[in-house]
Amino acid sequence: MTISHHPPEDLLADYATGALDEAEQLVVGVHIADCARCSSFVRAIEKLAGASLDAAEPVATAADAFDAVMARIDRRPQAAPRVSEVAAHDPELAGLPEMVKRCKIGKRRRVAPGISMRPILLSGGGKSRAFLLRSEAGARMLEHSHSGNELTCVLKGSFSHLGGYYGPGDFDYGDDEVDHRPVVGDEGPCLCLVAMTGDLRMHGLLGRIISPFVRL
Amino acid sequence: MDWAELIGRVAARGDREAFKALFAHFAPRIKGFLIKTGCNADGAEEIAQSTMVAVWTKAGQFDPSTAGAAAWIFTIARNQRIDAARKASREGRLSQGVVLDEEADPTLAADQIVSRVEDATRVAAAIERLSVEQSTVIRLSFIEERPHSEIAAVLGLPLGTVKSRIRLAMNRLRDLLDDAT
Repeated sequence: MTISHHPPEDLLADYATGALDEAEQLVVGVHIADCARCSSFVRAIEKLAGASLDAAEPVATAADAFDAVMARIDRRPQAAPRVSEVAAHDPELAGLPEMVKRCKIGKRRRVAPGISMRPILLSGGGKSRAFLLRSEAGARMLEHSHSGNELTCVLKGSFSHLGGYYGPGDFDYGDDEVDHRPVVGDEGPCLCLVAMTGDLRMHGLLGRIISPFVRL
Repeated sequence: MDWAELIGRVAARGDREAFKALFAHFAPRIKGFLIKTGCNADGAEEIAQSTMVAVWTKAGQFDPSTAGAAAWIFTIARNQRIDAARKASREGRLSQGVVLDEEADPTLAADQIVSRVEDATRVAAAIERLSVEQSTVIRLSFIEERPHSEIAAVLGLPLGTVKSRIRLAMNRLRDLLDDAT
């Protein structure tokens, strides 16, 4: 697999320092798990952050901090590995990245002809939403732009738009200046992991007519 | 002090003396680092403690050939901090107690820095080649999360210069990592 579209560097740095919103962090994380190049970049920021932590001015911890930590270690049960029960029995999720399978994933919902989505149930503290977007082979998304940011990582299949061809592992970043019309590849359905803030804006007459029915 | 060796002793035989030395060095620095990056003192204390619990329980995952001890501990503290914020928002939503544990949220990447030795060497070499000016803006902007206007004031530079310097530093880091491939 050749990954040719990567997240912008500032997004990778925010990922490394934990500054991203939960949904965004998941999408960037799934790309990084597959991409040695971006993974190196994140490692570099983590290394700089480690040096910064090591050089930080120490602030005394509570007088009983060490004893409290040892007590927590001693009474800690052996952790059982977590496997999402949903993912274990869901054929559509087979073969997806571990990070996705460990999430709680909601029910499928039709969005538009040939397009459906399943929400990823997050903690609810973030400002962006995450979902799996499934588009049938050859489907044409309506021409659209965003009122916020949209981060996409391709999991299966492919799509193309003005920015090029996007296959598994590729990352697409759309902000409120991007106006594009993705076309799904013919090889099969395209499954993407998407984090989105704001709403999609549909263009053209058809878009204006059906926009109220497109619930993304 | 060889922190990696101490982490290895914790992993191999639950060495409490080694852990005590790690705690004495890192716990106050984690707390100081968190306060500097915007945590309140109580939150920083709690995260520093849960980070040290996780250092003990995850010590076996630490690979000294691929990661520095400080970077590894940073990633644990980072994940604990994110996890604490998420638990707080879940609790707020559910209005019922949620058991706090030391396991990080399932959507988080592993604390373990999974990478090959060559990758670690390349990353270290790239960081070495960044200029002080470049590593400084990366630290201020991303690690300490200071607003650009504040960085401009600290460095005595116009805002536009700060923005372009950050961008150049990020591109340079990317190029240095790519070149070494």
